[in-house]
Amino acid sequence: MNKQEIDTNQWVDLYGDLMYRYTLVRVKDQGAAEEIVQVTFVAALQATHTYAGRSSEKSWLFGILKHKILDHFREVKKNRSFDMSSDDDPDSSDYDSTGHWKKIPQNWRLDPEKSAVNQELTEKLALCLDGLSDKFRQIFVLKEVDGVSTEQICKEFDIKPTNLWVILHRARNQLKNCLEIHWFDGKKQE
Amino acid sequence: MEKKKNSLCNLFKLSCQDTSPLISEMMDHRVSFVKRLKIKIHLAMCEVCLYYKEQLETIRNLSKNLGREDFPVNTNKTLPPESKEKIKKMIEANK
Repeated sequence: MNKQEIDTNQWVDLYGDLMYRYTLVRVKDQGAAEEIVQVTFVAALQATHTYAGRSSEKSWLFGILKHKILDHFREVKKNRSFDMSSDDDPDSSDYDSTGHWKKIPQNWRLDPEKSAVNQELTEKLALCLDGLSDKFRQIFVLKEVDGVSTEQICKEFDIKPTNLWVILHRARNQLKNCLEIHWFDGKKQE
Repeated sequence: MEKKKNSLCNLFKLSCQDTSPLISEMMDHRVSFVKRLKIKIHLAMCEVCLYYKEQLETIRNLSKNLGREDFPVNTNKTLPPESKEKIKKMIEANK
């Protein structure tokens, strides 16, 4: 393939918003997301000579962006030193004393296989993600949104797989409750 | 004998609270045969936990979708104009 020309003048207008939105799915804080996009463009400028034209300009920029988002996660982890043990106890508030559901899971009447095309529901999920704690949000996003392996997440966060499964279970429960309140309960009344 | 039978039954009998973490765990790795059997037995009797399982599968598929580079989410959000200007100036300066 011929080496493609890079037109840096167009970058911000063509990809700025796309990259910002992509980052906001992964990083809750808007200021931090802005900064990540900025840092990505700076890194891209300094690396234009490495652009071989094998991929599109867009996927090349997104490749750099993904690295910068991971760097951000590492930075946050280092500064705030996530406590990986405190809130990993199984959550009992969802069940009564006999182990039954307090709020009975509803039949969403969706085929899980086909649900992914549901734009409205996906947007609600994006909102519900912001309700998770930073730690749960990051781990859930890496595992389920970006498909990072269990081994790699455990290494990044210095946790055991059993911790990871507990965190994912709790994150999923919170997301399910959130979707039920903000999406399913509203649908019932329509 | 009766007592023994009972305890054998209980070995496979799980509450919803016991089952829900296993349903979630099953999505993350291959769980042991005994755990799989326990989940299966519970799900055969408990419609509500079956809904729960479907909910988690739905969330998984939605999440995958959300991860796509071109998925149109947060479309109401744009990089603030001042941020765009700043980056454009930076790009200009670096030419």
